[in-house]
Amino acid sequence: QSLEDCPLDEDEDAFPALGEEDEDIDQFNDDTFGAGAVDDDWQEAHERLAELEDKAGSSREPDGPVGNDGDVLGDPEDALAERLTRLVIDSELEDPAIMQAVHTRDPPQPGGLNSSIWDSSAVLRRIRGPLLAQEMPSVSVLDYVLPQRPPQARDEERDPSERALPRRSSSPIIGSPPVRAIPIGTPPKQAAIPNFNQQILCPKPVHIRATMQQRYPAPYGERMSPNQLCNVPNSSLLGHPFPHSVSPVLTHLQRAQLLGGAQVKLLPAGRMSPSQFARVSGLVGSPLPSVNPKLLQGRVGQMMSPAGGFRAFFGAPPAPPPSQLPHPPGPGSHLQNLRPQPQMFRPDTTHLHPQHRRLLHQRQQQNRNQHRSLNGSGGDRGGHRSSHQEQIRKDPYANLMLQREKDWVSKIQMMQLQSTDPYLDDYYYQNYFQKLEKLAAAEEVHGDGPKKERTKLITPQVAKLEHTYKPVQFEGSLGKLTVSSVNNPRKMIDAVVTSRSEDDETKEKQVRDKRRQTLVTIEKTYSLLLDVEDYERRYLLSLEGERPALMGERKQKICDMYDNLRGKAAGQDRPSDDHFMQIMCIRKGKRLVARILPFLAPEQAADVLMATARNLPFLIKKDAQDEVLPCLLRPFSHVLYHLPLGTVTSLVQQLTNLPQSAAAPTNLHLTAVLQNKFGLSLLYLVLSRGEELQSSDTNTELMQDNQWTELMLMATRELLRIPQGALAKPVSIPSNLISLFSRYVDQQKLNLLETKLHLVQGIR
Amino acid sequence: EKHLVLLRDGRTLIGYLRSIDQFANLVLHQTVERIHVGKKYGDIPRGIFVVRGENVVLLGEIDLEKESDTPLQQVSIEEILEEQRVEQQAKQESEKLKVQALKERGLSVPRADTLDEY
Repeated sequence: QSLEDCPLDEDEDAFPALGEEDEDIDQFNDDTFGAGAVDDDWQEAHERLAELEDKAGSSREPDGPVGNDGDVLGDPEDALAERLTRLVIDSELEDPAIMQAVHTRDPPQPGGLNSSIWDSSAVLRRIRGPLLAQEMPSVSVLDYVLPQRPPQARDEERDPSERALPRRSSSPIIGSPPVRAIPIGTPPKQAAIPNFNQQILCPKPVHIRATMQQRYPAPYGERMSPNQLCNVPNSSLLGHPFPHSVSPVLTHLQRAQLLGGAQVKLLPAGRMSPSQFARVSGLVGSPLPSVNPKLLQGRVGQMMSPAGGFRAFFGAPPAPPPSQLPHPPGPGSHLQNLRPQPQMFRPDTTHLHPQHRRLLHQRQQQNRNQHRSLNGSGGDRGGHRSSHQEQIRKDPYANLMLQREKDWVSKIQMMQLQSTDPYLDDYYYQNYFQKLEKLAAAEEVHGDGPKKERTKLITPQVAKLEHTYKPVQFEGSLGKLTVSSVNNPRKMIDAVVTSRSEDDETKEKQVRDKRRQTLVTIEKTYSLLLDVEDYERRYLLSLEGERPALMGERKQKICDMYDNLRGKAAGQDRPSDDHFMQIMCIRKGKRLVARILPFLAPEQAADVLMATARNLPFLIKKDAQDEVLPCLLRPFSHVLYHLPLGTVTSLVQQLTNLPQSAAAPTNLHLTAVLQNKFGLSLLYLVLSRGEELQSSDTNTELMQDNQWTELMLMATRELLRIPQGALAKPVSIPSNLISLFSRYVDQQKLNLLETKLHLVQGIR
Repeated sequence: EKHLVLLRDGRTLIGYLRSIDQFANLVLHQTVERIHVGKKYGDIPRGIFVVRGENVVLLGEIDLEKESDTPLQQVSIEEILEEQRVEQQAKQESEKLKVQALKERGLSVPRADTLDEY
């Protein structure tokens, strides 16, 4: 169904006919909002009316929405009645008395137009209440009602209804509820024409059952929701052959009438009559999903669908309505919607200005089916007989949107969320909810489970469809046409890449280029990293046979990453850390390294560590602003865990730059390290690891041991020398440092060291 | 069902949401424009609003119970408009100073609205 369907088109068509754009629309103006609002062929209506007295069962073919120009007729109620009678098959009427009443009924005064709208609405609505309450009225109601109403109801109804709808040659018009210009629910404003409306209700209801779709009980108060109005005509006008089971419907209406009181006034025909009909049908019907969504067709305020649907109906032979209307598929082509549910009767409102139409529909919609009202702000008063009278809306505008429309909008939005690979498209959201779920599971509060789930928006994952691109082919053309599209782009510009000669570049440019290259390398490596990190998930999702391949890919990528990091030096054994240093100078590069480290093989990781340690002062200097180095601590410590003593020793060597040549008075390297948070923490970590190894491992080689001892002696000496104030505050102090130092220094110095380095817990 | 809508130009509208569509075009009923300045706020009744979807930043439902307990203090419309004017003025002046300072340094930061807020 095309969503951007007819409504617009029909709007455009309709516009010329409608001129007014009043700011202050007289909402009581029947011509615009009442029965007169629906455009009808007044001439025809006039004719019909003229024949009202003469013909009882003549079949007419109204070409447009049923509805007569009220003014022309001079008797809106009459026209309405006309339509009503059309809706009814004589043979279907159970009560001959009713029919008779319709025939002989006098047309109500035209003067009561405005009020009558409301009146009937009130009645309709009131009637609706009980009707809604039960799907199937009991036959008894009919009996109950009939005796009281028959004379009048029949009277009014018969004639107008006969005129209102064409007799279907194929089958009798069944089930079209009488169209009420005034929704039944409207409290009667005048006592005039008391019985007219009721009559309308009577016969038609028989068929209402089938036309469940419009369920908008009359608007309360003064407003007739356009939707309702639209609904009304549709249902009634398009006489659909309804199964006989509809007869109970009559009961509904009758009952409704009964309950609603006698003050329902037939709405002046004109344009509104269709809506009235619809409304009545709504009353009768069980609260079925309103067809109104079709009206609205997802366009707020655009009521063109009813009109369209209406037209469609006129042409098409009525299809037997399902006994229980399935919820309409949602707005879409109104035509499409209407086809499957031919019971939709709507006045032709296409010509109306959207605002105008909207107000119309607004009124129609005022009484929404109970079960459909979501917004709930008192918008729905269905089903309470006694409360109909007091349905002074707490919120007359509630439920302007049908549930269907709301579903439609949310359907659209959900469709946008469909993806073939949620992880790719919506990574953060998926992860976020995974974490939430883990938390929820961890809490083990099963009672809360459902609650939490409820708030989760599940983004559906659809299967990925492979589309093989086939170039567009036209039949009858010679050869292949060149059509450029997304899949087959055409070259538009000749972009030539000119590489510069080395001479031209200035030093700044070189530096800049180098930096750019580093950035590019970082980005590439990042992509590799993300891929590698993702492998675990893919592994789980993949089939058995694919797994080795995945693993292989992963390994390859890891190697590539490492190469990127260190800079591929063909043939050489990585003599320079230059490349690596470049990367490390950039904040993102540091984070990248931190993330890569877990994936690297121990030797490679150690290599990285060494390089870092070797150049630490430089890095520290560069990191002064970013202060990102500490992020490396954690992965470094992990790496350290796996390092043998020898490596650790060399690490310490690197870090401290010991032994020094005697010429250098101060160990700048060490100083820098010690003065930096990261450096100091790293040093501690390394020392701690060494200590661990020393104390735990009894098989250490002697040489390594000696190396370590020497180193430690020197280190401690240096540490002692450094003034306390110069020391940075490390991230953490391993606990075994004391034991470490105790090996190499005497007690006094140990104490010194302790205080200096805050090794003793509690001092810090 | 009262909803609060924040628009791209910074306005806050509160009203009953009557209908929406797939572009997030909104129809608000009995809308009130709420201006916040500091701790005070003022409401201007506006009636019916139809908002084009692209201008909506966020939309949320107002919990009617929570609406009443707010530390904000409501003032009259004139007062809040006055406060807003003062605030705008102060902002403009500081903005001017900033631009001036940047100009002296040879930099120019384009103002947000000229960038179409992207």
